[in-house]
Amino acid sequence: MRKRAIYIRLLHKWLGLLVGLQVLVWLSSGLYMVLLDIDFIHGDSLVKNMQQTVTMPQNSAIDISDLRTRYADATAITLTPVMGRPLFAVSTPNETLLIDPQSGKLISPLDERTAREIARFHFNGDAVIKKASLITSDPPMEIQTRRLPLWRIDFNDAYNTSFYVDPFTGTLVTRRFQYWRIFDFMWMLHIMDYQERANAHSLLLKSAQVTGLLFCISGLWLLFYSFPGRRRKAADKS
Amino acid sequence: MPFIRKVHKWVGLLIGIQVFLWLLSGLVISLLDPAKVSGQFLASPAQLSAQNLPSGNLLEPQELAQDQLEEALSIGLVMNRGKPVYRIRRSDGVILLDAVNGSLVVTSQADAVSIAGQDYSGDGAIASVERGTAPDMETRNHRGGYWRVNFADDVNTSLYISAVDGRVLERRNDYWRVRDFFWMLHIMDYPGRNDFNNALLIGVALIAIWLGLSGIIMLFGRFTRHDFYFLNVFQVGKMKVITLVDAEGESVRRLKIRQGANLFLALAEQGTDLPSVCGGGGDCGKCRVKLESPNLPEPNPTEQGLIPKALQRQGFRLACQHHVADDLRLHLPKNRSQ
Repeated sequence: MRKRAIYIRLLHKWLGLLVGLQVLVWLSSGLYMVLLDIDFIHGDSLVKNMQQTVTMPQNSAIDISDLRTRYADATAITLTPVMGRPLFAVSTPNETLLIDPQSGKLISPLDERTAREIARFHFNGDAVIKKASLITSDPPMEIQTRRLPLWRIDFNDAYNTSFYVDPFTGTLVTRRFQYWRIFDFMWMLHIMDYQERANAHSLLLKSAQVTGLLFCISGLWLLFYSFPGRRRKAADKS
Repeated sequence: MPFIRKVHKWVGLLIGIQVFLWLLSGLVISLLDPAKVSGQFLASPAQLSAQNLPSGNLLEPQELAQDQLEEALSIGLVMNRGKPVYRIRRSDGVILLDAVNGSLVVTSQADAVSIAGQDYSGDGAIASVERGTAPDMETRNHRGGYWRVNFADDVNTSLYISAVDGRVLERRNDYWRVRDFFWMLHIMDYPGRNDFNNALLIGVALIAIWLGLSGIIMLFGRFTRHDFYFLNVFQVGKMKVITLVDAEGESVRRLKIRQGANLFLALAEQGTDLPSVCGGGGDCGKCRVKLESPNLPEPNPTEQGLIPKALQRQGFRLACQHHVADDLRLHLPKNRSQ
């Protein structure tokens, strides 16, 4: 029994050297992710006007029937609200186009001024726009697999908020801010995929997990030897 | 350091089992193949090409039943199973209206069976079909009615087909069910398996962080250069002489021990086991021995808590708390088990 306690203590100490730091990283990155409400991380507090209802276009110069004739390869035609105004979004196998029902004219891809207006319309705050840029290649990691091009609108607020607006649909595709970026970094640490931040099945992770599990089991086992007061009493009785 | 140790072992006692469950569930989740968990491995390749809208006469949105369009978030003319329909997205879900006659389109049981049969690429036959109106554990990310089509295969595949637009909502199987169970253990949300911001998890995580912090602090104190002597191929290092003295004061053995070695472990290595319950942790105080040396080490805080002052002054120390620095005479305890 005594010998075993010595060996387990040594095992626990050496496994601690091997994965102790990673276990602390798991515990602290996990703590960050559970402490901050996921809706807040998704930026729900940064936006407004996200559930706009669509109204029928008034005095329209064009209807869906005209659009079907104009775009014979259309797969979908959707009446969608952009800044409160109903617009037609026409999907073809290659692209999506925005048509203004009142003029019947093609208004996509949206220019910088409109992208800024859309971002402004959805931004829940007073901060001014710092910068607008059209991303056509080399997307930042934070927009993940979303389709390009996208307008990136940066706000001059305390959280470095960025809104991403689709120039072909006028929708706010996603929003990112400091707490999201920290969350993403913590997720990277948690799953140990330091490149893509997406693969939670790597050999590195699995080896760390197996070692961590042995580390934890040895620690639990040590609990039997680490409260000698009660053991001594039990031994005295017998 | 004794305080840090105390924190470490009491926190370990309190939530060690949950830390074990976190590691175990994390491991199970990363071992499971994501293509199997998602059911993709039994799904036919998706048909990418969407159908073109037809050119004939269709209703305009203005001609649809306007009460269906109240509070609509978008109104889209799309193809659904070969027919043009209006897809109305509302905050309470989606409805489809036939673009030719304006009637409500639903996915019937026969439709659902045919959709599921087309999607499924495994070799199990359809065993049963159930209708669901409210989301259950396996469709918890969706609203609205659905058909559950169960297949008789090795992994108990269930395809969930939307009763509105006939989309395949979820492909569930036993891989997913195992993963979901361990996910529940991981995030400690036992009723919903969804919310990782729950109070129980936050509370346990706030306690567990102290296990990690105290452990890392101890790591620094626990390792000495001696621990890494195995890396030293020439095994250089000064040897010190430990003279073991029995209860009658007779010297019984002389041991050569490398400088820096832990006294308790070095004696155990050479066949002299001192009494111990905790195995050298500084918990039980049983490896107490009287030391004689020209420069006797001072008792550390752990020893001050476990050895009476008078005995400390006589040279009593805990063998597990000291590293060999110099030649020593060590008085073995009477009750030493050999």
